[in-house]
Amino acid sequence: MSEIDTSGGGKGKGKGGKVRSKKASTSVDMTPMVDLGFLLITFFILATTLSKPSSMTLNVPDKSNEKEQETEPLKASKVATLFLGKNNVAHVLDGVASSEDGAKAALKDFSYGFPLREALMKARVRVDAEFGKDAKGESQFVCVIKPLRGSTYKNTVDAIDEMAITKIKRYALVDALTPDETKLLGDKTKD
Amino acid sequence: MPIVKPVRRKPALDMTAMCDVAFLLLTFFILTAKFKSQDAAEIETPSSISGIKVPDKDIMTISIDKDGKVYFGIDNQVNRRAMLENIAAAEGLKFDEKQIKKFGIQSNFGVPLNQLGAWLNLSKEQMGAFKQPGIPVDSTAQNDLAKWVYNARKANNDLRICIKGDNFSKFPVFKNVVGSLQAQNINKFNLITGTEQAPAGWKAD
Repeated sequence: MSEIDTSGGGKGKGKGGKVRSKKASTSVDMTPMVDLGFLLITFFILATTLSKPSSMTLNVPDKSNEKEQETEPLKASKVATLFLGKNNVAHVLDGVASSEDGAKAALKDFSYGFPLREALMKARVRVDAEFGKDAKGESQFVCVIKPLRGSTYKNTVDAIDEMAITKIKRYALVDALTPDETKLLGDKTKD
Repeated sequence: MPIVKPVRRKPALDMTAMCDVAFLLLTFFILTAKFKSQDAAEIETPSSISGIKVPDKDIMTISIDKDGKVYFGIDNQVNRRAMLENIAAAEGLKFDEKQIKKFGIQSNFGVPLNQLGAWLNLSKEQMGAFKQPGIPVDSTAQNDLAKWVYNARKANNDLRICIKGDNFSKFPVFKNVVGSLQAQNINKFNLITGTEQAPAGWKAD
């Protein structure tokens, strides 16, 4: 009735005998389906962004009440200033005020990555040895990042990242140069 | 003597297991997929060791490409339309329904306000071919970016601000962008970076 004869016609074993339906194989060829599956996987791998970008937070000082916060000026010996120059070079002025005579000789060039990190660590060790920790047990070392006109965005991010790596808590991103610094850096400030 | 011939059988491999694996992987990729958005410019971000992920929604992205052009985008179509209507009302511009709809599907753009209407009238192909001049951020003459930021925040107050800069974009452009944000009393934002490994032995506090 509802059965389909798969035995293929007249090969029955005689007229009156039971017609045993030949069992059709139930296995399906999966190969095309696998093909399809992998095709779609390939598509999704190529169409998606796998590495999710990370983000670093940057807090800049509030400009509106800048005038009210008059704090005492920092001692130059506690500060290292990072001038981010062109061609991926950072000029580091460590512990010397830019108005001092020895500033030109103290200004050293470092490339980003390990050399800069080492210089920062050294500066912090020097400040810690000289001043010790403050009341909260933090280092008193302050790092000022001053990107110059010729520096790239990557340099700025690298410098801030370096603060995270060396765990320098006190740092500031400042873009204005003082007249002394402009004189000290000379044509390094140009593009 | 009869030679016993080995029965030749077609070598059959059971593909069911392989099929299972394929579709399992497929399901995984579909569920985790986040499609690459069509961006106005290609931007290669610098990398940092920061492990904070960029939020999925409610973000406003200010992109700076390597030539220093600035692009702007927010994440939700509804908000984009609201933002355009806000800025049109504030600036006395008029956009018709078609232009607003088209604007809704742009994930980011870099067209000055006075060229925006003309740009939205272009066909899809022309839009792709059009070289976008970037949004003016000059603090003195015309600062469209500040207006966009203001009106985007008006459309969605929860927007977080992300700056996505190219490796080789110059610092002054970044300074201008930050300056126009600071002028609106926005002092906290995220810099979008790639992820890199912290140096060996480094531990987060």
